[in-house]
Amino acid sequence: MEDVTNLTRTQLDALREIGNIGSGNAASALAQFLNRKIDMAVPSAKILDFKEIPELVGGPAKSVMGIFLKVMGNISGRFLLLIPEHTSLRLLHTLIPGCDIDSPLNMGEMESSCMREVGNILAGAFLNALSTLTQTPMLNSLPSMAFDLSGSLINYVVADMVAVSDKVLMIETSFIEEEEDLRIHIFLLPDPDSLQKLLKSIGVA
Amino acid sequence: MSDFIPVGMGELKIARHPSCLVVYGIGSCVILALYDKKNKIGGFSHVMLPDSSGIDKDKLNPSKFADTAVPLLYNRMGEEGALKSMLVAKLVGGAEMFPPTEDFSSNIGKENVEAVKKALQNLQIPIEAEDTGGTRGRSIEFDLETGVVKLSILGQETKEL
Repeated sequence: MEDVTNLTRTQLDALREIGNIGSGNAASALAQFLNRKIDMAVPSAKILDFKEIPELVGGPAKSVMGIFLKVMGNISGRFLLLIPEHTSLRLLHTLIPGCDIDSPLNMGEMESSCMREVGNILAGAFLNALSTLTQTPMLNSLPSMAFDLSGSLINYVVADMVAVSDKVLMIETSFIEEEEDLRIHIFLLPDPDSLQKLLKSIGVA
Repeated sequence: MSDFIPVGMGELKIARHPSCLVVYGIGSCVILALYDKKNKIGGFSHVMLPDSSGIDKDKLNPSKFADTAVPLLYNRMGEEGALKSMLVAKLVGGAEMFPPTEDFSSNIGKENVEAVKKALQNLQIPIEAEDTGGTRGRSIEFDLETGVVKLSILGQETKEL
């Protein structure tokens, strides 16, 4: 299936459930990692115009931390975490004793490595749950990280996926810590030629 | 207060002074700005990919691809009353936003810049200024009164092209 706009309601519901299971596992991993209670927003599986993605994180000119991984295996795609500036600072202050940087622009190797590890853990947990569910091994690549304008990061990640259609299928969820709004946005973008396999593996092809 | 006209990914827009054409959050895309100083008409093409070959003609959005977007902007500028022989180009963007890893690397930014330059050369449009490549996101405002492109990069001083 090359054209995501043909997905049925049932198929979208099934994809949303995938988001639910994947991000549930990722949320537990994050909670363990931070030793805090983490809530999860209800995931969504949407077909949307790629131009709308930056709006989900505050507009294209908003500076965010992006962690990007490739999903590899029989089912492939792209996995992107977008973390607002204050959430990334909170994560760094919590995870690195003595870290007191005031902007992600001042991150050193230790901080970058810590953020990439956060990405690795979340992507790993998400994809593990999906592998089990779909009986298809899925692995994540090494994470790559950048702190920049959300529009620039998204532009780079989706450019070659939207050569023909402007639409992408996106499974999105966010985590919220109970006392503070510490959002992390997770996006899973299946490669167009993997979508059919993904649907088949969950019995809604 | 002038009118700010945003130009999204894969879009092409032409305007006259006192308007400003703007793009926020440019990554690997290249923004081609063409300007006719005499008539104060300018256009932006927000190019996403280098090459449209292999795409079905009936599904093709020509303003997404360098090889089709550059001649399209050039001709549309002429239709809007710009003097084609007066047009000068400025180029911004073409960054690789995420550092490469073992499993993923991309030259899409560089390829976009090269493809836009090649298309400009075919039309013999001179490049007056550029800020391309690198790894940082960019935002720009194109003042059609002066032809100046104001460039901002996160954490850096604004500069003018």
